[in-house]
Amino acid sequence: MMRRLAGGTLVFAAAFVALAFLVLPVLAIFARVSPGRLAAQLSKPIVTDALRISLETTGIAQVLILLLGTPAAYLLASRRFRGRGVVVTLVELPLVLPPAVAGIGLIAAFGRFGLLGGTLSALGIRLGLTQAAVVLAVAFVASPLYLRQAITAFEAVDPDVVAAARTLGAGPGRTFFRVVLPLARNGLAAGEALAFARGLGEFGATIMFAGSLQGVTQTLPLAIYQEFAVNFDATLAMSALLVLVSAALLVALKVTLQWQPSQRTSRFLFAPSS
Amino acid sequence: MRRLVLLAALLGALASPTLAGTPRLTVFAAASLTDVFPQIDSHARYSFAGSNALAAQIRQGLPADDFASANVTLPDQLYEAGLVEKPILFTANTLVMIARKGNPDHLHGIYSLGGNSDLKIVMAAKGVPVGDYTRTVLAKANLSGLVGRAVSQETDVREVLAKVALGEADVGFVYATDANTVPGQVAVFAIPRQYEPKVNYAAAAVTSSPHLAAAEAWVKRLQGKTAQAKLRAAGFLVPGRG
Repeated sequence: MMRRLAGGTLVFAAAFVALAFLVLPVLAIFARVSPGRLAAQLSKPIVTDALRISLETTGIAQVLILLLGTPAAYLLASRRFRGRGVVVTLVELPLVLPPAVAGIGLIAAFGRFGLLGGTLSALGIRLGLTQAAVVLAVAFVASPLYLRQAITAFEAVDPDVVAAARTLGAGPGRTFFRVVLPLARNGLAAGEALAFARGLGEFGATIMFAGSLQGVTQTLPLAIYQEFAVNFDATLAMSALLVLVSAALLVALKVTLQWQPSQRTSRFLFAPSS
Repeated sequence: MRRLVLLAALLGALASPTLAGTPRLTVFAAASLTDVFPQIDSHARYSFAGSNALAAQIRQGLPADDFASANVTLPDQLYEAGLVEKPILFTANTLVMIARKGNPDHLHGIYSLGGNSDLKIVMAAKGVPVGDYTRTVLAKANLSGLVGRAVSQETDVREVLAKVALGEADVGFVYATDANTVPGQVAVFAIPRQYEPKVNYAAAAVTSSPHLAAAEAWVKRLQGKTAQAKLRAAGFLVPGRG
């Protein structure tokens, strides 16, 4: 009896330490200075510029991810071919790569002396140290999150429903937009929210490939890194802002995943057995 | 990037007990000292970064035993705040302009930068010692307009060097000793003598160090013959000139 009690206490203690460890640094950002002083820092040009650049670059990257990633995910989800597992793994690889490796990879591929550097130069394009480089860095690290979730979402669409739509005379395009997309949209939205959050936080690849210039390439994480040496209050304010945005994205993600689509085609799709 | 190195160093500090008698010191040092300090003392643990970032970390209470800065202002400010012991000058450097390998843009010094607006110029941010020296030189040479044309404001001198050595930027401003570490990979141009900034390095023991005596001895050692010879071999200069 006593032993069981002691064991239970240990479990609780371990759980408490784990939770406190995860929550404390986040709370500390808000506890360090008063909310009023934090809010005052948010109107500083370095903060507003960084916020604008973060939203712009992440926004453009998301559009690219959605436009190119959705067809790619659909193809990978609906086709079975040799080497599919390898392709999916390659697509997921940037997820687990250290950001510094991503930065080196981007320079080696798209830098002036990179693999495509000569071709890009011939076209008069120099990507390094530009806002386009930020977009590439964000897209590179964030798109695997969307692709992974989108592949899962498309795979969950019942092939019989798709076949039925085709039998009833809908073309492949119509089937995709009227049947597959509505059924998969929760998963797609969840993947998009994850990719957006990851994109907002991108740091390592950006600072290596795009540099850091206020109002051009300096995103919020880069501004935090630079202002750390200058104005600690401003870095706290920017960190608080990112915590709030990330928390909002996370909540949106959870709500989306639990929310059942209203115009579902088949009840069986979400039955526990499937 | 260098913050990760620091984290690794801190984890290492927790894992390894100090060797008998000689405590293993943690030295926060200017990025320009990256190559030479380990030659002077391979036993210490280093965190190299922009001196201003390191000073900020010391202000936030990160555990360092010694601080070596690429200017005198930062250690002096920490000394006034009671965070470090009295700083001493231990070496000096010169600022240079660097261009891409082989000088493909046919530059011949700071005055050739004004005409070509396609040039991608990088410099360190304001507050980073090398960034402040760069601004001082350009202001004296009536070229302050170039500051606004910079395509990136880096957080330490080695980031500037890397951007030019990799060819992503065309022109940068670093210390002569940084350019020496990548021989043949960048073209080096001296700053006209009348605009040359006085780049002195100062070091100080961190007051909160648990090994304060050892930390103070470490600073003294930088003025010693061996350390000075290594510094000179790397292209550093005798401090206090001008």
